[in-house]
Amino acid sequence: MKKKLQIKAILKYTLLIILTVIFLFPVVYMIISSFMSGKEVIDMLDFTTGSYASLKLFPEDFSLEQYYKVFFRNSKYLSEFWNSVIITLPTVIGQLVVSSLAAFAFGKLKFPGRDKIFFVYMILLILPIQVTLVPSYFMYQKINLLNNVMSIILPGTFSAFGICLLRQSVRYVSDTSIEAARVDGASYIRIFFQIILPQIRGGLISLALLTFVDTWGVVEQPLIYFTDKAKYPLSVSLSASTANIDIVFACGVMFMIPALIIYFLGEKDVRSSFSRI
Amino acid sequence: MKFEKKQVVWAYIFLLPSLIGIAVFYVIPYIMCVYSSFVSKGSFAGLDNYIKLFQNKAFLYALRNTVIFTAVAIPLLMIISFLIAKFLASFKKISAFFRSAYLMPIVIPAASLIYVWQLLFDDYGVVNNLLSSLGIDTVQFFSSGFSMVMIIIIYIWKNCGFCVILFTAGLANLPKSVHESAYLEGAGGFKTTIKITLPLITPTTFFVFLMAVINSFRMFRESFSLFGTYPNENIYFLQNFINNNYNNFNYPQLSSSAIVMSLIFIGLMLIFFLYERKSDYLE
Repeated sequence: MKKKLQIKAILKYTLLIILTVIFLFPVVYMIISSFMSGKEVIDMLDFTTGSYASLKLFPEDFSLEQYYKVFFRNSKYLSEFWNSVIITLPTVIGQLVVSSLAAFAFGKLKFPGRDKIFFVYMILLILPIQVTLVPSYFMYQKINLLNNVMSIILPGTFSAFGICLLRQSVRYVSDTSIEAARVDGASYIRIFFQIILPQIRGGLISLALLTFVDTWGVVEQPLIYFTDKAKYPLSVSLSASTANIDIVFACGVMFMIPALIIYFLGEKDVRSSFSRI
Repeated sequence: MKFEKKQVVWAYIFLLPSLIGIAVFYVIPYIMCVYSSFVSKGSFAGLDNYIKLFQNKAFLYALRNTVIFTAVAIPLLMIISFLIAKFLASFKKISAFFRSAYLMPIVIPAASLIYVWQLLFDDYGVVNNLLSSLGIDTVQFFSSGFSMVMIIIIYIWKNCGFCVILFTAGLANLPKSVHESAYLEGAGGFKTTIKITLPLITPTTFFVFLMAVINSFRMFRESFSLFGTYPNENIYFLQNFINNNYNNFNYPQLSSSAIVMSLIFIGLMLIFFLYERKSDYLE
């Protein structure tokens, strides 16, 4: 009996490790490859030689060449990195502000039409970006927003996603604390800042992270709204057809670092907030 | 239902920025899209655009592929994540490291990983290397029906961890007594899961479903980066169709296909709403 349990435990842990390797492997492999020399990367990704590619768990000779090229030889990638920053940061902040305000209304306040409006929000949330992409293009053309980062920041700010996510966190705030504050004569603004916001901290951090990742990887909108290629964010130029193959992995690492930093800073809150969905 | 006047006023004040933004950036473009789907060369065309659309072979391919992807990838993702979440819950104690590892793929932006996928799935890539050394026929992931398999694998890899976290959280909120009493009454593990666990975590399931659908649109990024503007017919999605009609300035086709696409997903959503009306997500 005991032996049987032990075997079961060993099998379970083996499965756990296999799953973890599957989830982590592509990410780890990208980091490893970023320390290869440009030539080694080109050789690795050359599929025309007629022989099969294989994984290299260590670079042949450890090299910082890719990073050197990205940071010092060509300003293109750094300026695109900056383009990504000026699109993403305002979107994240805007989305947090707009969503938390609306989520408070949807989650805790009673007003006529609440559930119907929320239903419309959910429907809009489920619309693929491509549906509104081109009509928006014509609209931006009229109001002179083409080639302007605002054409990506504003729709991102008002996306219904944050409201959907935060409404759940807001609903977990206890009604009695709000009632008590009301009895004490606190205004709704004060309740929002002093009771709601502190208690949905985890939800806010999760939302910041998810909005960041989504906007940071934006591809469709810049391709259509930006005719000026100098405004393209890094996510667009990293797509296969245009990138310089000898530095792609360092670019990829540079590209994912901001997301990882936010993730590790807020990781605990992110995981705990999901238990409230 | 009686409303407190002051509360109603404040609710709308809090809601105002979002209402304006949603109207301008989502509702108006959508209405414009509906309008232009009924217009051709400047005059009202009734259902002409839609009729032409359904006679267009490229559109039918795109529609078929999108439906296949949605019908296969989303349920598969949800089932796999649920099973992994159950598996993780079976450990008494588990290091936070594992859950962090599972969340990693969704944090990494799509563009970063394109070359890793290429290395794995190319005709002469690592997967085919493995297959050929095992004496199995190699697979052309970039130019055959297996392209769809590859996209589904990447989609599941990317989103699974996030859904696992959501399901884990949902399972953790279940009262323990529920399982115990079911077990005492002689219900087996599988039966308990179907009859008791699943109905109880419907709100979680609904949220996972919502995320799965939203993220399935985002797979276009991977698809676009891996296959470019003209992918092979097996993974030519509605997004490609819309994108290419934009490049050809064919707006009637573009808007009518966009409307068809949105109706598919609205329909899917309504079905799910009916199913989960028992739970309180939208009370």
